[in-house]
Amino acid sequence: MFSRIIDILRHPVSRRKWLTIASGVLITVALVAWYGFGMAAPWAPLMTIAAVLAGYDIALRAWASLRLRQLSIELLVIVAAIGALFINNHWESAAVTFLFMLGAWLETRTMSRTRGALKALIDAAPVTATVLRDGQTIEVAAHEVALGETVLVKAGERLPVDGEVIDGSAAVNEASITGEPIPAEKAPGSKVFAGTLAENGLLHLRATGVGADTTLARIITRVEEAQEAKAPAQRMIENFGRWYTPGVFVLAIVSYIVTRNVELALTLLVVSCPGALVISTPVSVVAGIGRAARSGILIKGGEHLENAGRITALALDKTGTLTEGQPRLAEVVALAGQSEADVLLWAGIAETGSTHPLGRPIIEAARKQGPLPTAESLEEIAGMGLIARHDGHQIAVGSHRLFDHLKIDFNTEAKDGIARLHGLGHTVVIVARNSAVVGLLGLADMPRASAKPMIERLHALGVHRVVMLTGDQRPAAEAIASAVGVDEVHAAMMPDDKLDRIRTMRAEGLHVAMVGDGINDAPALAAADISIAMGASGSDIAIETADIALMTDDLGKIAEAMEIARATLANMRQNLVIAVLTVVGLLFGVYTGTIHMAGGMLVHQLSVLIVILNAMRLLRVPKATKARAAAQTGERAAA
Amino acid sequence: MTNTSTRTILRSDELSCPSCVPKIENALLALPGVEKAEVKFASGRIEVAHDPARTDVAALVNSIAKSGYTAKPSAF
Repeated sequence: MFSRIIDILRHPVSRRKWLTIASGVLITVALVAWYGFGMAAPWAPLMTIAAVLAGYDIALRAWASLRLRQLSIELLVIVAAIGALFINNHWESAAVTFLFMLGAWLETRTMSRTRGALKALIDAAPVTATVLRDGQTIEVAAHEVALGETVLVKAGERLPVDGEVIDGSAAVNEASITGEPIPAEKAPGSKVFAGTLAENGLLHLRATGVGADTTLARIITRVEEAQEAKAPAQRMIENFGRWYTPGVFVLAIVSYIVTRNVELALTLLVVSCPGALVISTPVSVVAGIGRAARSGILIKGGEHLENAGRITALALDKTGTLTEGQPRLAEVVALAGQSEADVLLWAGIAETGSTHPLGRPIIEAARKQGPLPTAESLEEIAGMGLIARHDGHQIAVGSHRLFDHLKIDFNTEAKDGIARLHGLGHTVVIVARNSAVVGLLGLADMPRASAKPMIERLHALGVHRVVMLTGDQRPAAEAIASAVGVDEVHAAMMPDDKLDRIRTMRAEGLHVAMVGDGINDAPALAAADISIAMGASGSDIAIETADIALMTDDLGKIAEAMEIARATLANMRQNLVIAVLTVVGLLFGVYTGTIHMAGGMLVHQLSVLIVILNAMRLLRVPKATKARAAAQTGERAAA
Repeated sequence: MTNTSTRTILRSDELSCPSCVPKIENALLALPGVEKAEVKFASGRIEVAHDPARTDVAALVNSIAKSGYTAKPSAF
């Protein structure tokens, strides 16, 4: 029994809780005795004991900081509480210490909720792993799995290591890494990540990353570092806090000398606690970064969060970012009275002999309309195209140069068609049968379906200039730009040109974010206010170097990251305003004599709680995002 | 010296005021074989470089408990 009490008293969290409760009970008893039964005798002793109980812990902490040569908030409170006892103001002393303790206890609880966004990620990693050793399955600690070892994962289990599937298949929910709620199908050869959830099946993995060397661990480390990295506003406040507390002591002493009012001086000490001010920005930063991490968005620190919240322009690459990064058959033009189906069929027959990247989409499209017969002979002319024989006819498929080489002329119809397709930004493949041009194929890198809504969301957010920087030629760039709603196009750009463009935009006073793949866009990324890397779950470099890393290549995450950054910045400002207004209001109240010690402490503690609760709003997923996610899930289910 | 040292990471979600940071750090540094101890307040992460032969992980957890906080070792 006794040792349990010692335990409770030794553990600060439970000690504080019980001291607060005991103090509260004594205060209640004194109040009831006085107002209920008119008993004056217990008032002073009960209030004094209550003040001592609650004040004991505050005094301990004040002393600990004082030894580290810091004038802490606790010191302000304890000096005020002791002072109140000396001027026989027992009630004020008890109320101040009790409210301070109660507030601190509530703050601890809400603060750990704010940290909790990451806890879900940390808890995602299982502690044990089932491995196959010498033909036997045994259970070992997850970080003791050797690289290259075979790990078994059953349905419903979380993966303990990064690895490659060597046997079996399963639908794996990768939400912990990518924030993507729809499970990915994994089969032999697939890469899988620790912390993801196998929803069915049985997987045999070869471990490629263990313990701290998993993608999940790296993400958590990055997020934690980011939460520690201070935003500029935060740094300013900390510098401010350094001379603020001593300043309050000076103010209290001066006020006493001028007014000879001890109570006023002590009340000043209580109400000027910089509590809300000190935590106003860090609590927003921690909540904002945690919220983003849950959606698979890694923001690398308070500074980047502040910068991202101010972005007014976004620059991005075309290929692979706004587009799928792979050519597709966009249009079939039939000439000389042929049908489109026949043109595609002939092109498909010839392309079966091709190793060119443009061949695949043509073959795929041709196969969709029916079986593809084999050519009797096939000849590839490197850099030009193909010549095939089928059913007694000669088929030639390729670029302009093949037809110059074969000395086949284009009639006006063909020339007009080629010019039109070029104008659309398509790569043109020409099809001829028996030395007569019979059709044209337009191939293009198609814009991604998510590109247009993403840009609309950015515009709605106040990112007014979305700029495409691409190494591609102008017609292709403009075709994509007008399809997705990009505001400005810069085509045929070399890496240095991209860098210059970003610099020019910044010189115009824009806050520029740049989305890139991190290698050839590196100079431009470095020059931008914020660099964003996409699809980072596989690449350490992207996680390490970008200011914001998106774990999937879902374009919507760019807009979501900006939304979160803006919301966090706004939240930070709200918190600062709340904190400053509280302090100013309280000081005013003290000097006009409308606020006394207990009331001042209550208002002050409330302001701290309001600031934390306000930051916790950031943890909620906005309704619009939820609705979008649901719509996406629906679409995929239908497809 | 350094080749016997390992890095252990612990986590606590009970840190409520920045003033507890030096308290935990000093308690850890007082243990034999502890070369470095760092407590991160915002994330509740505690990093310790220590010689496991002289002070093991359980002793670290114990020391933090004596300073008044529950911490759990973590793989990363």
